[in-house]
Amino acid sequence: MTRANAGNAAGAWEQLARGANQYSQDTQETGELLHLISLRLAGTTYAVRVESVREIVRMRPITPIPRVDAAVRGVISLRGEMVQVIDLRARLRLPTIDPHRTSRIVVVHLPDGRVAGLLVDEIREVLRIAADATLSPAGDAFAVDALCACGEEFVSVLSLERVLDLEGEA
Amino acid sequence: MTRRATTRRRATKAEREFVSEAEEILEAMRADVADLSDSAQGSVEPDPGLVNRLFRSAHSLKALAGMFRFAPIEDLAHRLEDLLDALRLGRLANGHGVLGLIDESAETFAALLECIGDAEVQAGFTEPIGRLVARIDAAANAPVPTPREFDSLSIDPSMLRALTEYEEHRLRENLERGRTIVQVNATFEILSFEEGLSELSTAIRENGEVLSTLPAPGDSPESQINFTILAGTDMDASALSRALDFPGASVEAIGGCALSPPADPTGEAAPSSAPQRPTEPLEDVAGSLDLSSLKSISDTVRVDIRKLDELMNLVGELVIQRGALGEQVTRLLERQETARIGGELAKIHKALDRRLRELQSAVLEVRMVPLRQVFEKISRVVRRVRRDLGKQVELEVRGADTELDKLIVEALVDPLMHVVRNAIDHALEPEDERRAAGKRAQGRLVLEAFQRGNHVVIAVRDDGRGIDQLALRQRAEQRGLVRPDDVLSERETLDLIFEPGLSTRDEVTETSGRGVGMDVVRSNVTALGGIVEVESYPGRGTSISLTVPITLAIIQSLLVGVSGRRFAIPLNAVLETLMIERSEIQRSEDRELLNLRGEPLVLRRLAREFGLAEDAPAEKPFVIVMGIGDQRAGLLVDALHGQQDTVIKSIQGPIEFVRGIAGATDLGDQDPVLVLDVSALIDDAGRRREAA
Repeated sequence: MTRANAGNAAGAWEQLARGANQYSQDTQETGELLHLISLRLAGTTYAVRVESVREIVRMRPITPIPRVDAAVRGVISLRGEMVQVIDLRARLRLPTIDPHRTSRIVVVHLPDGRVAGLLVDEIREVLRIAADATLSPAGDAFAVDALCACGEEFVSVLSLERVLDLEGEA
Repeated sequence: MTRRATTRRRATKAEREFVSEAEEILEAMRADVADLSDSAQGSVEPDPGLVNRLFRSAHSLKALAGMFRFAPIEDLAHRLEDLLDALRLGRLANGHGVLGLIDESAETFAALLECIGDAEVQAGFTEPIGRLVARIDAAANAPVPTPREFDSLSIDPSMLRALTEYEEHRLRENLERGRTIVQVNATFEILSFEEGLSELSTAIRENGEVLSTLPAPGDSPESQINFTILAGTDMDASALSRALDFPGASVEAIGGCALSPPADPTGEAAPSSAPQRPTEPLEDVAGSLDLSSLKSISDTVRVDIRKLDELMNLVGELVIQRGALGEQVTRLLERQETARIGGELAKIHKALDRRLRELQSAVLEVRMVPLRQVFEKISRVVRRVRRDLGKQVELEVRGADTELDKLIVEALVDPLMHVVRNAIDHALEPEDERRAAGKRAQGRLVLEAFQRGNHVVIAVRDDGRGIDQLALRQRAEQRGLVRPDDVLSERETLDLIFEPGLSTRDEVTETSGRGVGMDVVRSNVTALGGIVEVESYPGRGTSISLTVPITLAIIQSLLVGVSGRRFAIPLNAVLETLMIERSEIQRSEDRELLNLRGEPLVLRRLAREFGLAEDAPAEKPFVIVMGIGDQRAGLLVDALHGQQDTVIKSIQGPIEFVRGIAGATDLGDQDPVLVLDVSALIDDAGRRREAA
C-alpha cells in the first residue's frame, strides 16, 4: 500500500523534492532566500513555505467527519495514518468545488508534530524569493502572511497557523 | 486525540535509558519498602532478605547514577546505602523513623527522575536533599544498645546482637555439645550473592550446622558484599576450610571446645587480629560493574512501548492485507476457470489467517501488564497519608494480578490516584465522627480489580460518609448546572460529581488539592473508551468504579451502515444486535425507547447524533445494544456489514476532539471508517452538558 501511494504522488513530488533539495544549497550560499511551493486556488496563486510541507498526494477517498467545521472535508488514510483534510477554498471563504483531476492534498506539519492535509486546486512550482523582497499583505488579510511579486503577479504566502486554527475561532 | 503540550526539551537517549533503568530499580525498591513496612507492624526484626534486597537496590541506583553522572541521585543513594547497611548489620532498629527515611528517599528519587534534563527544577531539590541526607546520617550513626552474653566467644558484639532468640538457643546448644563454633567469612558479587551464599551454606551444612547468616561490614570493592556465617561443627577450623573448599571464604574458630588457632595451611584464613575482615575473593572484579551486568540480573527484556506500538501497527497492516487477499480468493473461487487455483489459495489463506491470529494475540499479550504496580503506587500514597495526616486508613487490595494493556495502565494511574485521595480526604470521616456514628475508628478502603468480558473494572470503595446528594444538588443549582425544577434520578444526581468544579467540600487539602476534580477523572477514563460510575450509600460509603477496555491496540469491530456511510463500533462494547420493526419504537418525553425483555432501552439514532440525512431510513432497522459498566443504550442503524479486525488510529489535524468519535481505521478497501466512541454515545450526563 505504501508503494502505491508513493507512486501516485511521484510526479509532482519528485519535482518539488528537487526544488527542496536546491533549497538547502541556496540557504548555505546566501541564507536569505525564501522557498515556497506555489498553488492555485480559484484562479489565484498562493504559496506555503517548503519547510512546512511534508508531502503532496493525489486525491483519494475522503471520509466526512460529522459535527465539525464545514471547512473540514474529512479524513484520509496516508499509509495507515489518519489525517484530517481542510478544504482551503472553504477556509479562505471562496466558493467550494468538487475535487477534480488536478486537485491535490498538501500535507503540512502542525506545530505539535502532527500533520494535516490541505485540499488545493492545483500545485504549481517551487519559488525562490529573496526574503527582503516580500511585501506586507495589503489591508486586513485573514490568512496571508506576506505578498511577493512574481513577475506581474502577486503571490499570497499563507499563514498556516491562521489557516489551521479552526478551534480558536469556533 | 488528546495530547499534552510539553515545554521541556526532550530527554536525550542516554537520559531516557537512565530513567527507565532507574525507575525499574526504584519500583523494586518501593515494593520492598512496602513489604518491610508491613512486616514492621508485627515484629521488630526486619526480614534480612528484604533489607539485603533494598541495600542492593540502593547500591545499583548509586552505581547507575554515577555512571550517567547524576550527582544528586548518586549522593542520596550513597547515603541510603549507608543507612541500609546499618540496618542489615543490626546496628539500627527497624523503627518507623528508618522506614520513613527510606520511603522519603524513594519518593525523592522518583521526583528527581521526573525532572531529569531540567536543571532548573533539579536545582530546587538541592536543599530538601541536603536536609534528608542530614537526617539519614543522623539515623545511621545513632548509638547502639549494649550486648549481653556469650562473653567467652571472640565474636563481634554487634553480631551477637543480631542473633534471634532461636539462633541464640542453637548457639548455646552447640556450645553445650562441645562443638567448635566457627565464623565463615565470605565475599560475593553483589549481583549474585544469593546463589553463592546458598552454595556456601549447603557446603557448611554437610559438615555442621549453620547457626546464623549475617551480612558483614568490610572495605571490599563496591561491587561486592560480605557475609559472615556463624556455624557449629565437630571439625576444627582448618579441616572445615579444606572440606568446604570454597574460593573467597575463610574459616575462623571463635570459641567452643577446641579454640585452636587458625591453622589453615592454604593461608586462606583471615588473621585473628581482624576477625571481621573477610579475605578478598580469588577473582577481583572491582570496577567491572557496568550496565550490562545490571541488566543480567533478570531474564526479562524491557521494551519501549512505542516499539510495541510499531509492532502492533505492522500486525494491523498485515491483518488488512489478509482481508484484501481474502477478497481476491473469493473472486477466484467464483469464476469457474480459476476455481481450482482459488481453492488452493483459499487453503493457504486459511493457514495464514490462523498464524496471523496467533501472532496478533502474542503481540497483544506482550503489552499486557498486571495492575500490581499501580496498586502498589496507591498503597504508598495511602501509607504516606496515614503518616502525614495521622488518619487511620486500612487498605485492602484485591485482584492485583488482573492484566491490562500497558498504555491503559499508565493512563489509569492519575485518575485512580485522584479517586483514592478523594476517598481518604473527603469520604472517610475523622475518627471521632466515625465513633459517633458507631463505626470502627479506622477507615476502610477497598481497591479491587476484575475482568468482565473485554473490559476490566477497577473499583475504589470506602466505608465513609457517602455522598450528600442534597448538598450536591444545591451546589449544582448555585452554579446553574441544574434548574430548581429539574427532576433528577439518584444516578443523575450522583453523576453531578463529575461536573467541573463541583466538589461537595470547600476546604482544600494537601492530599487531593484543588484544580483536578472528578471531571478530569471522567474525561481521562472516557478518552480510553471507558466509563466511570459512582454509587453511594449515605452513612455507609461510596463506590467509584472505572471500567476500561483491556486493550486499544487491535480490536474486533462491528461495521454498521447509516445514511449510506459506514461506521465501526468496538465489539467489546456490543452486547447484542437486534432487527426491529419501526413500529416497535416507543416514546417517553423526548426519548425513544425499546422494550428489551421488559426493560426500557434508550435508543439513539446514529444519523441524528451525527446530523446525517435520514431521507431513506431502513424499514427494518437494526438496534445495536451497547453496554459499558452498568450503562446501556441502543444505537439505531440502517444496516450491518459484519465484523472486522480494526486498528484504531487517532485522527491528526487541527480538530482535536470530536464527541462520539474515537478515531478512524483503514480497512484496506475504500475510504477510512470512523470508529465510534461508545462511552460518549452512552453517557447521558455528557449529553446534557453538551446541550446546556
